[in-house]
Amino acid sequence: MRQDHQITHAQKGELVSLATDADRTLFFDFLSLNTKTLPGFTTRFQLYTVPGQAIYNTTRQLVLKGVDGIVFVVDSHWEKMADNVESFANLQENLIENHLSLVQIPYVLQYNKRDIPNAAPVNYLEFTFNNRANRALAFESVAATGSGVLETLNAAARLLLAKYSKTPNANVTGMSQPNLAVAVPPSVDNPRVTAGNAVA
Amino acid sequence: MLTAEDQTAIEQRLADFLTKSEAQWSALVDKGGNLFAQSGDTGQLDLSILSALAAGSFAATHELAKRLGEPDFSALYHEGHGQHILMSALHHECLLVTIFGERTNIGLVRFYAQQVTLSLNELLQQAREKEASTPPLLLEGEFLNDDQAAIT
Repeated sequence: MRQDHQITHAQKGELVSLATDADRTLFFDFLSLNTKTLPGFTTRFQLYTVPGQAIYNTTRQLVLKGVDGIVFVVDSHWEKMADNVESFANLQENLIENHLSLVQIPYVLQYNKRDIPNAAPVNYLEFTFNNRANRALAFESVAATGSGVLETLNAAARLLLAKYSKTPNANVTGMSQPNLAVAVPPSVDNPRVTAGNAVA
Repeated sequence: MLTAEDQTAIEQRLADFLTKSEAQWSALVDKGGNLFAQSGDTGQLDLSILSALAAGSFAATHELAKRLGEPDFSALYHEGHGQHILMSALHHECLLVTIFGERTNIGLVRFYAQQVTLSLNELLQQAREKEASTPPLLLEGEFLNDDQAAIT
Protein backbone atom coordinates (compact mmCIF):
# COMPACT_ATOMS: atom_id res chain seq x y z
CA MET A 1 0.00 0.00 0.00
CA ARG A 2 2.90 2.35 0.59
CA GLN A 3 4.07 2.11 -3.03
CA ASP A 4 0.98 3.72 -4.49
CA HIS A 5 3.09 6.48 -6.12
CA GLN A 6 3.30 4.18 -9.15
CA ILE A 7 -0.36 4.83 -9.84
CA THR A 8 -0.41 8.08 -11.77
CA HIS A 9 -3.64 8.17 -13.76
CA ALA A 10 -6.25 6.94 -11.32
CA GLN A 11 -7.73 9.38 -8.86
CA LYS A 12 -6.34 8.30 -5.50
CA GLY A 13 -7.95 8.81 -2.12
CA GLU A 14 -5.97 9.27 1.05
CA LEU A 15 -4.29 6.18 2.52
CA VAL A 16 -5.85 5.41 5.89
CA SER A 17 -4.10 3.09 8.31
CA LEU A 18 -5.70 1.73 11.45
CA ALA A 19 -2.51 0.69 13.17
CA THR A 20 -1.24 0.23 16.72
CA ASP A 21 1.43 2.49 18.24
CA ALA A 22 4.01 -0.05 17.12
CA ASP A 23 2.82 0.50 13.52
CA ARG A 24 1.23 -2.92 13.25
CA THR A 25 -1.96 -3.01 11.22
CA LEU A 26 -4.76 -3.41 13.75
CA PHE A 27 -7.86 -3.38 11.59
CA PHE A 28 -7.07 -2.46 8.00
CA ASP A 29 -5.23 -0.10 5.70
CA PHE A 30 -7.53 1.45 3.16
CA LEU A 31 -7.07 3.21 -0.17
CA SER A 32 -9.72 4.05 -2.74
CA LEU A 33 -8.99 4.48 -6.45
CA ASN A 34 -11.31 6.05 -9.01
CA THR A 35 -10.42 4.78 -12.47
CA LYS A 36 -11.73 4.92 -16.02
CA THR A 37 -11.06 1.26 -16.64
CA LEU A 38 -14.44 0.62 -18.27
CA PRO A 39 -15.65 2.78 -21.16
CA GLY A 40 -18.45 5.08 -19.98
CA PHE A 41 -18.01 4.17 -16.34
CA THR A 42 -16.07 5.35 -13.37
CA THR A 43 -14.96 2.29 -11.44
CA ARG A 44 -14.05 2.80 -7.83
CA PHE A 45 -11.73 0.18 -6.36
CA GLN A 46 -11.55 0.05 -2.60
CA LEU A 47 -8.34 -1.61 -1.45
CA TYR A 48 -8.04 -3.03 2.05
CA THR A 49 -5.14 -4.86 3.62
CA VAL A 50 -5.68 -7.15 6.57
CA PRO A 51 -3.43 -7.65 9.60
CA GLY A 52 -1.28 -10.78 9.46
CA GLN A 53 -0.85 -11.65 13.15
CA ALA A 54 -2.84 -14.59 14.47
CA ILE A 55 -4.47 -12.56 17.28
CA TYR A 56 -6.19 -10.28 14.79
CA ASN A 57 -8.25 -13.03 13.21
CA THR A 58 -11.57 -11.43 14.13
CA THR A 59 -10.69 -8.18 12.39
CA ARG A 60 -9.42 -10.14 9.36
CA GLN A 61 -12.78 -11.86 9.14
CA LEU A 62 -14.60 -8.53 9.31
CA VAL A 63 -12.54 -7.04 6.48
CA LEU A 64 -13.16 -10.09 4.32
CA LYS A 65 -16.89 -9.62 4.64
CA GLY A 66 -18.13 -8.22 1.35
CA VAL A 67 -14.85 -8.86 -0.48
CA ASP A 68 -14.98 -9.02 -4.29
CA GLY A 69 -11.39 -10.00 -5.05
CA ILE A 70 -8.30 -11.08 -3.14
CA VAL A 71 -4.55 -10.73 -3.50
CA PHE A 72 -2.74 -13.23 -1.29
CA VAL A 73 0.82 -12.08 -0.63
CA VAL A 74 3.39 -14.82 0.07
CA ASP A 75 6.67 -14.00 1.83
CA SER A 76 9.48 -15.69 -0.13
CA HIS A 77 11.66 -16.30 2.97
CA TRP A 78 12.10 -20.03 3.60
CA GLU A 79 11.62 -19.40 7.34
CA LYS A 80 8.21 -17.82 6.67
CA MET A 81 6.84 -20.76 4.70
CA ALA A 82 4.97 -22.31 7.64
CA ASP A 83 3.42 -18.88 8.40
CA ASN A 84 2.46 -18.51 4.73
CA VAL A 85 0.76 -21.88 4.66
CA GLU A 86 -1.04 -21.15 7.94
CA SER A 87 -2.23 -17.78 6.62
CA PHE A 88 -3.49 -19.29 3.38
CA ALA A 89 -5.43 -21.94 5.30
CA ASN A 90 -6.74 -19.23 7.63
CA LEU A 91 -7.88 -17.13 4.65
CA GLN A 92 -9.88 -20.06 3.33
CA GLU A 93 -11.41 -20.71 6.78
CA ASN A 94 -12.36 -17.05 7.12
CA LEU A 95 -13.98 -17.06 3.70
CA ILE A 96 -16.06 -20.06 4.73
CA GLU A 97 -17.12 -18.14 7.88
CA ASN A 98 -18.41 -15.45 5.50
CA HIS A 99 -20.10 -18.06 3.28
CA LEU A 100 -17.53 -17.52 0.52
CA SER A 101 -14.70 -19.55 -0.99
CA LEU A 102 -11.72 -19.21 -3.33
CA VAL A 103 -13.80 -21.04 -5.95
CA GLN A 104 -16.23 -18.10 -6.09
CA ILE A 105 -13.90 -15.16 -5.58
CA PRO A 106 -11.32 -13.97 -8.11
CA TYR A 107 -7.91 -14.12 -6.46
CA VAL A 108 -4.32 -13.56 -7.44
CA LEU A 109 -1.11 -14.73 -5.78
CA GLN A 110 1.86 -12.44 -5.23
CA TYR A 111 5.26 -13.90 -4.36
CA ASN A 112 6.91 -11.06 -2.51
CA LYS A 113 10.49 -10.28 -1.41
CA ARG A 114 12.02 -11.87 -4.52
CA ASP A 115 15.16 -9.77 -3.95
CA ILE A 116 16.30 -11.59 -0.80
CA PRO A 117 19.34 -13.87 -1.22
CA ASN A 118 17.73 -17.12 -0.09
CA ALA A 119 14.27 -16.68 -1.63
CA ALA A 120 12.31 -19.91 -2.08
CA PRO A 121 12.18 -20.84 -5.78
CA VAL A 122 9.01 -19.85 -7.62
CA ASN A 123 8.26 -23.44 -8.69
CA TYR A 124 8.29 -24.44 -5.01
CA LEU A 125 5.84 -21.59 -4.17
CA GLU A 126 3.67 -22.56 -7.13
CA PHE A 127 3.59 -26.17 -5.91
CA THR A 128 2.71 -25.07 -2.37
CA PHE A 129 0.09 -22.39 -3.06
CA ASN A 130 -1.10 -22.88 -6.62
CA ASN A 131 -1.34 -26.62 -7.04
CA ARG A 132 -4.93 -26.92 -8.20
CA ALA A 133 -6.98 -27.56 -11.34
CA ASN A 134 -7.74 -23.87 -11.99
CA ARG A 135 -4.45 -22.22 -11.23
CA ALA A 136 -4.56 -18.61 -10.11
CA LEU A 137 -2.43 -15.92 -11.73
CA ALA A 138 0.80 -15.46 -9.77
CA PHE A 139 3.27 -12.56 -9.81
CA GLU A 140 6.75 -12.08 -8.43
CA SER A 141 7.26 -8.84 -6.56
CA VAL A 142 9.55 -6.69 -4.47
CA ALA A 143 6.99 -4.55 -2.66
CA ALA A 144 9.67 -2.34 -1.09
CA THR A 145 10.62 -1.04 -4.56
CA GLY A 146 7.14 -1.39 -6.06
CA SER A 147 8.27 -4.03 -8.54
CA GLY A 148 5.39 -6.32 -9.57
CA VAL A 149 2.85 -4.52 -7.36
CA LEU A 150 0.86 -2.74 -10.07
CA GLU A 151 0.89 -5.88 -12.24
CA THR A 152 -0.70 -7.81 -9.38
CA LEU A 153 -3.32 -5.15 -8.74
CA ASN A 154 -4.19 -4.99 -12.42
CA ALA A 155 -4.58 -8.75 -12.68
CA ALA A 156 -7.01 -8.70 -9.74
CA ALA A 157 -8.84 -5.68 -11.20
CA ARG A 158 -9.23 -7.30 -14.63
CA LEU A 159 -10.52 -10.54 -13.12
CA LEU A 160 -13.13 -8.48 -11.28
CA LEU A 161 -14.15 -6.46 -14.33
CA ALA A 162 -14.33 -9.56 -16.52
CA LYS A 163 -17.36 -10.59 -14.46
CA TYR A 164 -19.22 -7.79 -16.23
CA SER A 165 -18.07 -8.72 -19.73
CA LYS A 166 -20.53 -10.05 -22.32
CA THR A 167 -17.78 -12.38 -23.50
CA PRO A 168 -17.80 -15.43 -21.25
CA ASN A 169 -14.46 -15.92 -19.48
CA ALA A 170 -13.93 -19.51 -18.49
CA ASN A 171 -11.23 -18.55 -16.00
CA VAL A 172 -13.28 -16.01 -14.14
CA THR A 173 -15.01 -17.24 -11.04
CA GLY A 174 -17.69 -15.60 -8.92
CA MET A 175 -20.06 -14.96 -11.80
CA SER A 176 -23.19 -16.23 -10.14
CA GLN A 177 -24.16 -13.32 -7.87
CA PRO A 178 -24.38 -9.81 -9.30
CA ASN A 179 -23.22 -7.44 -6.59
CA LEU A 180 -25.60 -4.90 -5.04
CA ALA A 181 -22.78 -2.39 -5.49
CA VAL A 182 -23.11 -2.38 -9.28
CA ALA A 183 -25.07 0.59 -10.54
CA VAL A 184 -26.04 1.77 -14.01
CA PRO A 185 -24.24 4.73 -15.62
CA PRO A 186 -23.45 7.40 -14.58
CA SER A 187 -23.24 5.91 -11.12
CA VAL A 188 -20.24 4.09 -9.82
CA ASP A 189 -19.54 0.49 -9.04
CA ASN A 190 -17.27 -0.43 -6.18
CA PRO A 191 -15.31 -3.63 -6.41
CA ARG A 192 -13.50 -4.31 -3.20
CA VAL A 193 -10.04 -5.82 -3.30
CA THR A 194 -8.46 -7.16 -0.17
CA ALA A 195 -4.76 -7.84 0.02
CA GLY A 196 -4.07 -10.57 2.52
CA ASN A 197 -0.53 -10.22 3.77
CA ALA A 198 0.86 -13.45 5.09
CA VAL A 199 3.10 -11.49 7.42
CA ALA A 200 2.11 -7.88 7.75
CA MET B 1 -28.47 -3.45 -7.94
CA LEU B 2 -29.44 0.18 -7.44
CA THR B 3 -30.43 2.23 -10.47
CA ALA B 4 -29.95 5.98 -10.84
CA GLU B 5 -33.70 6.36 -10.07
CA ASP B 6 -33.34 4.34 -6.87
CA GLN B 7 -30.43 6.53 -5.88
CA THR B 8 -32.44 9.71 -6.49
CA ALA B 9 -35.36 8.35 -4.46
CA ILE B 10 -33.06 7.46 -1.57
CA GLU B 11 -31.39 10.87 -1.68
CA GLN B 12 -34.77 12.58 -1.51
CA ARG B 13 -35.60 10.62 1.65
CA LEU B 14 -32.23 11.54 3.11
CA ALA B 15 -32.70 15.24 2.30
CA ASP B 16 -36.12 15.19 3.95
CA PHE B 17 -34.61 13.48 7.01
CA LEU B 18 -31.91 16.19 7.23
CA THR B 19 -34.49 18.97 7.05
CA LYS B 20 -36.55 17.48 9.86
CA SER B 21 -33.70 16.42 12.13
CA GLU B 22 -31.41 19.38 11.37
CA ALA B 23 -28.52 16.97 10.98
CA GLN B 24 -25.62 17.93 8.75
CA TRP B 25 -25.03 14.93 6.48
CA SER B 26 -26.58 11.55 5.96
CA ALA B 27 -25.73 8.61 3.74
CA LEU B 28 -26.74 5.10 2.79
CA VAL B 29 -23.68 2.88 2.94
CA ASP B 30 -23.42 -0.88 2.64
CA LYS B 31 -21.69 -2.99 5.27
CA GLY B 32 -18.76 -3.38 2.89
CA GLY B 33 -18.15 0.38 3.10
CA ASN B 34 -19.55 1.37 -0.32
CA LEU B 35 -21.35 4.71 -0.45
CA PHE B 36 -24.63 4.44 -2.40
CA ALA B 37 -26.43 7.71 -1.75
CA GLN B 38 -25.88 10.81 0.35
CA SER B 39 -27.30 14.19 1.21
CA GLY B 40 -25.98 17.23 3.05
CA ASP B 41 -22.54 18.72 3.36
CA THR B 42 -19.35 17.47 4.99
CA GLY B 43 -16.97 20.05 3.54
CA GLN B 44 -13.68 18.56 2.41
CA LEU B 45 -14.10 15.12 3.99
CA ASP B 46 -13.22 12.12 1.82
CA LEU B 47 -16.55 10.30 1.75
CA SER B 48 -15.21 6.92 0.65
CA ILE B 49 -12.92 6.89 3.70
CA LEU B 50 -15.78 7.99 5.94
CA SER B 51 -17.95 5.15 4.58
CA ALA B 52 -15.22 2.53 4.92
CA LEU B 53 -14.49 3.53 8.51
CA ALA B 54 -18.18 3.69 9.43
CA ALA B 55 -18.74 0.20 8.03
CA GLY B 56 -15.64 -1.08 9.85
CA SER B 57 -16.80 0.48 13.09
CA PHE B 58 -20.26 -1.03 12.72
CA ALA B 59 -18.81 -4.44 11.86
CA ALA B 60 -16.65 -4.37 15.01
CA THR B 61 -19.68 -3.38 17.11
CA HIS B 62 -21.75 -6.17 15.58
CA GLU B 63 -19.03 -8.63 16.52
CA LEU B 64 -19.02 -7.26 20.11
CA ALA B 65 -22.79 -7.72 20.26
CA LYS B 66 -22.48 -11.31 19.12
CA ARG B 67 -19.92 -12.02 21.81
CA LEU B 68 -22.22 -10.53 24.45
CA GLY B 69 -24.98 -12.84 23.27
CA GLU B 70 -26.95 -9.98 21.70
CA PRO B 71 -28.36 -10.72 18.25
CA ASP B 72 -27.48 -7.24 17.09
CA PHE B 73 -26.87 -3.63 18.10
CA SER B 74 -29.31 -1.82 15.85
CA ALA B 75 -27.76 1.60 16.30
CA LEU B 76 -24.38 3.02 17.21
CA TYR B 77 -23.67 6.53 18.49
CA HIS B 78 -20.28 8.25 18.61
CA GLU B 79 -20.32 11.42 20.69
CA GLY B 80 -17.76 14.12 19.94
CA HIS B 81 -17.21 17.64 21.31
CA GLY B 82 -18.88 19.47 18.43
CA GLN B 83 -19.87 16.74 16.00
CA HIS B 84 -21.46 13.37 16.47
CA ILE B 85 -22.22 10.31 14.38
CA LEU B 86 -25.25 8.03 14.53
CA MET B 87 -25.26 4.78 12.57
CA SER B 88 -28.42 2.75 12.18
CA ALA B 89 -28.71 -0.73 10.70
CA LEU B 90 -30.90 -1.13 7.63
CA HIS B 91 -32.02 -4.28 5.88
CA HIS B 92 -30.07 -5.86 3.00
CA GLU B 93 -26.66 -5.30 4.56
CA CYS B 94 -26.95 -1.51 4.54
CA LEU B 95 -26.38 1.27 7.07
CA LEU B 96 -27.67 4.79 7.56
CA VAL B 97 -24.81 7.06 8.65
CA THR B 98 -25.71 10.50 10.01
CA ILE B 99 -23.38 13.30 11.08
CA PHE B 100 -24.81 16.11 13.17
CA GLY B 101 -23.59 19.08 15.18
CA GLU B 102 -24.77 21.52 17.84
CA ARG B 103 -27.85 22.68 15.94
CA THR B 104 -29.75 19.55 16.98
CA ASN B 105 -29.53 16.74 19.52
CA ILE B 106 -29.29 12.96 19.60
CA GLY B 107 -32.94 12.48 20.63
CA LEU B 108 -34.29 14.35 17.65
CA VAL B 109 -31.85 12.75 15.19
CA ARG B 110 -32.58 9.26 16.51
CA PHE B 111 -36.35 9.85 16.32
CA TYR B 112 -36.28 10.90 12.67
CA ALA B 113 -33.61 8.30 11.85
CA GLN B 114 -36.00 5.58 13.00
CA GLN B 115 -38.66 6.97 10.66
CA VAL B 116 -36.41 7.26 7.61
CA THR B 117 -35.01 3.79 8.32
CA LEU B 118 -38.46 2.31 7.68
CA SER B 119 -38.88 4.11 4.40
CA LEU B 120 -35.32 3.30 3.24
CA ASN B 121 -35.89 -0.37 4.05
CA GLU B 122 -38.97 -0.27 1.86
CA LEU B 123 -36.99 1.24 -1.04
CA LEU B 124 -34.20 -1.31 -0.63
CA GLN B 125 -36.75 -4.13 -0.63
CA GLN B 126 -38.30 -2.79 -3.86
CA ALA B 127 -34.85 -2.54 -5.45
CA ARG B 128 -34.10 -6.12 -4.42
CA GLU B 129 -37.38 -7.37 -5.93
CA LYS B 130 -36.75 -5.43 -9.14
CA GLU B 131 -33.25 -6.88 -9.35
CA ALA B 132 -34.66 -10.41 -9.59
CA SER B 133 -36.36 -9.54 -12.87
CA THR B 134 -33.52 -7.39 -14.29
CA PRO B 135 -30.84 -9.00 -16.47
CA PRO B 136 -27.35 -8.63 -14.98
CA LEU B 137 -25.25 -5.68 -16.11
CA LEU B 138 -22.97 -6.89 -18.91
CA LEU B 139 -20.75 -4.77 -21.13
CA GLU B 140 -19.05 -5.15 -24.50
CA GLY B 141 -15.39 -6.03 -24.21
CA GLU B 142 -13.37 -8.86 -22.83
CA PHE B 143 -11.39 -6.93 -20.15
CA LEU B 144 -9.21 -9.86 -19.10
CA ASN B 145 -6.38 -9.01 -21.50
CA ASP B 146 -7.53 -5.51 -22.28
CA ASP B 147 -4.97 -2.76 -21.78
CA GLN B 148 -7.81 -0.27 -21.43
CA ALA B 149 -9.08 -2.14 -18.41
CA ALA B 150 -5.90 -1.38 -16.49
CA ILE B 151 -5.15 0.84 -13.53
CA THR B 152 -2.26 3.08 -14.48
